[in-house]
Amino acid sequence: MSAVLKAVNLVKIYSGGALPVPAVRGVDLEVEEGEFVAVMGPSGSGKSTLVHMLGGLDTRTSGEIWLDGKRVDTLSESAWALLRREKVGFVFQFFNLVANMTVADNVELPALLAGISPKEARERRESLLAALNLGDRADAAPAQLSGGEQQRVALARALANKPSVLLADEPTGNLDSRNTRDVLRLLGEVHKQGQTIVMVTHDARVASLADRLVSLFDGQIVDDGRITRRRTGTAGEVIDLR
Amino acid sequence: MSTGMSTVRAGRRWIAADLRARKGQAVLTVLLVAGIVAALIAAVTLLEDGTNPWRSLFAQTNGAHVWLYTKDRPPDEVGAIDGVTSVAGPYRSAPVTVALGGKKEPAGLRALPSQAPQVARPVVTEGRWLDASQLDGAVVERSFATALRLRPGSSFTVIALSGERHTLYVRGIADSADQGFYPEWTPGLAWVLPPMLDRIEPMLGRSEWVTGLRLSDQEAAQIVSQRVVVMLEDQLQRVYTWREVRAAMELDNRLLGTLLALFGVVGMVAAALALANAAGGRVLGQLRDLATLKSMGFTGGQVTLLLLAEHGALALLGIALGAVTGWAGTVAVLGTTSVAPMPVLAIVGGTALVVLAAVGLPAWRGGRTPPIPDVPAAPPRGHLSRLARLALLVRLPPALVLGTRDAFTRRLPAFLTAFGLAVPMMMITIGLGVWSTLDNFLSHPEQVGQHASLYVRPGKLDSAQAARIAARDPGVRAVYPGTDVNALAPGEARSVRVRALGSTTTPYPFPVVEGRMFARPGEALAGQGLLDLLGVRIGDRVRLTVGGSPLIVRIVGRAVEPDLDGEVLSVGLDSLAAKDAVPPEYYALALRPGADPGEVRARLLAASGESLDVQRVVNPADRLSVIRVVIVALIVVLALIGLANLLTASALGLRDHAFDLAVLKAMGLTPRQVMATLVTGTGLLVVVGVAVGAAAGVSMVTGLIDLQGHTSGVGAGIGRTPSALTMTLAVLVAVGASLAVALIPARRAARAQVPVTSR
Repeated sequence: MSAVLKAVNLVKIYSGGALPVPAVRGVDLEVEEGEFVAVMGPSGSGKSTLVHMLGGLDTRTSGEIWLDGKRVDTLSESAWALLRREKVGFVFQFFNLVANMTVADNVELPALLAGISPKEARERRESLLAALNLGDRADAAPAQLSGGEQQRVALARALANKPSVLLADEPTGNLDSRNTRDVLRLLGEVHKQGQTIVMVTHDARVASLADRLVSLFDGQIVDDGRITRRRTGTAGEVIDLR
Repeated sequence: MSTGMSTVRAGRRWIAADLRARKGQAVLTVLLVAGIVAALIAAVTLLEDGTNPWRSLFAQTNGAHVWLYTKDRPPDEVGAIDGVTSVAGPYRSAPVTVALGGKKEPAGLRALPSQAPQVARPVVTEGRWLDASQLDGAVVERSFATALRLRPGSSFTVIALSGERHTLYVRGIADSADQGFYPEWTPGLAWVLPPMLDRIEPMLGRSEWVTGLRLSDQEAAQIVSQRVVVMLEDQLQRVYTWREVRAAMELDNRLLGTLLALFGVVGMVAAALALANAAGGRVLGQLRDLATLKSMGFTGGQVTLLLLAEHGALALLGIALGAVTGWAGTVAVLGTTSVAPMPVLAIVGGTALVVLAAVGLPAWRGGRTPPIPDVPAAPPRGHLSRLARLALLVRLPPALVLGTRDAFTRRLPAFLTAFGLAVPMMMITIGLGVWSTLDNFLSHPEQVGQHASLYVRPGKLDSAQAARIAARDPGVRAVYPGTDVNALAPGEARSVRVRALGSTTTPYPFPVVEGRMFARPGEALAGQGLLDLLGVRIGDRVRLTVGGSPLIVRIVGRAVEPDLDGEVLSVGLDSLAAKDAVPPEYYALALRPGADPGEVRARLLAASGESLDVQRVVNPADRLSVIRVVIVALIVVLALIGLANLLTASALGLRDHAFDLAVLKAMGLTPRQVMATLVTGTGLLVVVGVAVGAAAGVSMVTGLIDLQGHTSGVGAGIGRTPSALTMTLAVLVAVGASLAVALIPARRAARAQVPVTSR
């Protein structure tokens, strides 16, 4: 299998303040097609910065990023934006639905951006929302939805263009346990259909859903290992090691 | 697939959703811009109408472009001249004298049928048109009626050349573009029915025939009038075109243009502020959504374009609406096709550019939002500002200290608050400055070159007699002999005006604003326009030619010069050659304080047995009362914009503040103290904004008016700042109103239950 996403010696140093603050210090990471990678670490370990850089939301200080076999870290902000339309889906902790738009518009927007006809975008949205059990909420405003529902809409939006990689930044960080379970079940389902996923979390139970667990501490990878399926003990041990 | 098309589709979806979510605000923005544009168009048209009334009168009366006066009825061929579309008349016209209340005024009585004609149709503004059942009825031209104080129903006596007297009754008062206004244009004009004219003046030899020609192209008037001269030869008494009529009606004063341009600028800044506020507040409120859009694949440039399209479309809609209503409104008030197209186009184009620029800044700011959503607002620096430390040192209550700290720790809302108030305050100050400049015209006309309020020409008397009569009048303080001559400047095809007035020993008090008054023969004052035209400076020597003889003068000073684009050279009468200076052409009369020019004029006319020609000087401010209405309206609009800016800024500030407020409450501040904290924070910024705005306005207003004056040839030196009392009042009212407005969100915030964990 080939690497969908690859980071080589990736470094991010924030130099806005009086002292430069290194957030990511030389990360090497390869994500295979169809893989589900969980990135774990305590607050401030650089895991959000890492995933933002991988999706082009933040610029790297040095190092390389490769997406679908092409080097992308040298792209301009605009070129990144165009690339994201088709290759990257994002899910954030606070859902980040566009507040003014209906659920339907939120899900159709990325499809329209990718150049799909309005008719086809609607059909895609209908099937996605139906799959996520939100078919009847299409005309609702995001504010009328519960947190779990909003995150499911955000997931539908991220998946609208069948991206090469789905980047999820603490997707369950703001949800109660029942909604967490729902969202995780959905992530598991899309993963089974072959979707490559990189998910940042600090919750071990959430991380245990993934195939592979990358632990980050002070901006460096301290552990990278496969999770053996059906043996949750392994994940527990990794957490205990922290 | 094209990325352009797909972005447009997605962008349209987003704009539609955003507009739907804030219908009320969008409608308000459109209406505000529309209101400003409509007000500007109405103001410009009204002012234009006041300074150049000919156009609308000509349009209303379907006027004639060329007027010819002949001894006998002119042949029909004049109507067949190329370019003539229709003919008014010929009408028989007889010279008479109107005697009314001891005054005698020259008038031309013109015979028109009871069916008002299609071309050059007098438009009755009061009363009715002539009626065959009332033969002794007359309709009087409006400016003539105003001068004679005639109203419908009143009667007056006309004296024919034979000396016979007839009494006529005013049936109506009508507007006409056939000739200029009385008394600048004499004789006055009144219409009677043909049988009545035959009764008043039965002798055909003592009357003349008046014919108006309406042309397909007004530019052909000169050619047509030459054809008329050639065709009629000595039949023709005189001929004039619409240009002479327009020139006679025009108020030749560049000050109006100056003020008008300044007003346009104020209005456009108001529109720009209204939009910058609406768009800026909106963009700052939705930065998070914009970040989300970017994370989905909108580029920064596309987000900027999106915002520009949304807010720009609202602005353009407002401008279109305003242009249509302003145009329709003035057409309804002033009559059809009287709106000057150029100023309206300038307003529409100028406002469009200005508001798009105003929208551009927030749009650019929105496009620069980093694509990472959820970056929490940077917490304010923990340390107290110097001002807050000072507040603590002088033992102010804690709420005030915290408020003082808040005022300056959050830079963006602080800037928005202060700036959003400073700009309207500045514009209000400029508006007040225009007001006081107008007041100054009225109270000190001598400072704009109108020291004399009456001009006397000898008329039938000789010059010395006229000077004696004028000097004898108790209302006259000083009599300055004067002569206007045209002089050729070296290298200039056209001539400039040389005004010789007063002498170097008793000079006319020209308003000298630079250099000094002339003190010797051979010294002169120049207007700004003349300095620019000849490319000379004060201290330079110029050589002109007056009627063949040279006139060499040294320019020793610059005077405020409202006439003839400032292209006037003022000298003492003793600087001119005797052949040009003796006898003086006219006398300029400076009156004693409190003397009424109208009464002095009547006395002079009576003392000279109606032989003198006495003219009143028109003060530009007299025709400018409409500008005061516009100033008040603009100040109200600007005040509303300032308060709206303040509300937006404090709402933004409070949104970032919600967490702090919860902490303050948790620390034990009462709601009242929280409110005091917020109002102190806003209040300080309000005071800063208002003070900066007022100071900037005061320092700019004279400069702006003078700059306008300079470019229009009048020259710097007419601008006046508002009085200290006016400014103090304005600042106090502005601060008070702002604090009252700041109280609204502060009260709400102080009472709201804010959870400590906002996220």
